[in-house]
Amino acid sequence: MSVLFRSRQQGAKQVTISPSRRFLMFWVHHAQQCIASLGELARYPFASLMTMAVLGLSLTLPATLYVIVKNTDSVGANWDQASEITLFLRQGLSQQEVQTFTKRTQLADEVASVRLIDKAQGLADFRQRSGFGDALDTLTDNPLPDVVIVVPAESYRTPSAAEQLVTQLSEAREVEQARLDLGWLQRFQAIVNLVRDGFIALALLLCIAVVLIVGNTIRLNISSKRDEIMVMKLVGATDAYIQRPFLYTGIWYGLVGGIITWLATALLLWWISGAVRDIADLYDSQFRLNGLNLTEMGVVWGLAIGLGLVGSYLAVRKHVSAIEPQ
Amino acid sequence: MIKFEQVSKVYPGGFQALKNVSFAIEPGEMAFLTGHSGAGKSTVLKLISLMERPTAGRVLINNHDLKRIDRKEIAYARRDIGMIFQDHRLLMDRTVFDNVALPLMIEGYSLAEARKRVHAALEKVGLSDKVRHYPQMLSGGEQQRVGIARAVVNKPPLLLADEPTGNLDPKLSSEIIKLFEDFNRVGVSVLIATHDLGLIARMRYRTLTLKEGRMINDGLAEEAL
Repeated sequence: MSVLFRSRQQGAKQVTISPSRRFLMFWVHHAQQCIASLGELARYPFASLMTMAVLGLSLTLPATLYVIVKNTDSVGANWDQASEITLFLRQGLSQQEVQTFTKRTQLADEVASVRLIDKAQGLADFRQRSGFGDALDTLTDNPLPDVVIVVPAESYRTPSAAEQLVTQLSEAREVEQARLDLGWLQRFQAIVNLVRDGFIALALLLCIAVVLIVGNTIRLNISSKRDEIMVMKLVGATDAYIQRPFLYTGIWYGLVGGIITWLATALLLWWISGAVRDIADLYDSQFRLNGLNLTEMGVVWGLAIGLGLVGSYLAVRKHVSAIEPQ
Repeated sequence: MIKFEQVSKVYPGGFQALKNVSFAIEPGEMAFLTGHSGAGKSTVLKLISLMERPTAGRVLINNHDLKRIDRKEIAYARRDIGMIFQDHRLLMDRTVFDNVALPLMIEGYSLAEARKRVHAALEKVGLSDKVRHYPQMLSGGEQQRVGIARAVVNKPPLLLADEPTGNLDPKLSSEIIKLFEDFNRVGVSVLIATHDLGLIARMRYRTLTLKEGRMINDGLAEEAL
């Protein structure tokens, strides 16, 4: 493109590059600048790797937290369905009254099944499991209440519906106290939510930090090439042309940083998986940590590259145009 | 080719570098711009190459008012102006070939075409055998010739040179000037800023003389002295 000389007939031969050729060469130059910026990084491998590691490790923490939240979510989902309601009956009810109440409860639409654990059986179970056998022998009375365990019908197993059923059941004359097993699950869920919200905030902060770190590194790169940029501007390079290698540098940071995130996350999960297995075994659970799946790895990679690009874009936009030849 | 119409330039801080300067250089003309340091030579070149904007008056190239060239077009406008500097302004970490090819790469030439032109330009300045060298391996005169090759490689219609012989001995200087004469002979307009009056005296070219920002002489070299 010639701004001052529409067709260069004065002095020198006219320059002819066809538009299609120009378009092709635009992409060829893109590829060249992409490779060249990689070569530039390879010239200072230690410094480049440090920036990549900062980017990668910054993303490792949110990625690991994400994996943990994802896994606890799946635990919660399993337990959601298994909600049972425990009804503790009043002391002093007759055998007959207990049987009637059990039957009556059984007949309700909201209830799938009912199981009675009477006080004698309760005491026997307790004696067997607690190891307090001798101490219990000194008791004259059985202090345990009769217990009815209610499994709600399919449609009453969601936390809110089960909650409603609990209120309904606790209003019965025979019931001293009704307890939903979901209670602790809700608390657990609340804690998971807290962790999740915290992790989103933390992830956001770390992403901003990554953008700033990459931006600052690119800014240093730009100022160390100040003279070169001036020369390029003098011979007619546009800002876009000068910016491109720096943007590619940002992309490379993200590309390698993302892979570092994968490795570090896998390493961290492997490190804690032993402890997780111990906890799961204590709870008789088959629960095992699931790492990042392929899609999530892709998202992490995309995020890393995106952050690298954004960081370098902010730097070049501000600093490349500020350099004017003198 | 170049036309200054009552151009004044005041730098931020109040220093008035040019006062009401008017002159015109015709297409295909070769002229010298002279004066003591601080007289405004560099400012004239900077106004032509769009590194500075005039405070008052108009600068025209090929009848295009440079005021109309906005920031985004500056890069494209500079591609029509070959610039040569006293300090060469070469990229020290790139080979002679890469330095000379730089304007072509920026403009989007294919490598094959660029290679052809770079070799032609280097042959013209007599450095065909130094293609793979780095600038540090070359003498001052050779570095200057690399700078000239880079300035002419995309065949601009206008060449500007700022003290091109500043650090060279008289023999090398006249070789450099001969190069400019060669380019001028094929129709390129050339404007050379220099305070090397001895060099000018040997030539019979039009000489524009600046003193404290004013144009005090416009004519042949003898009249200036």
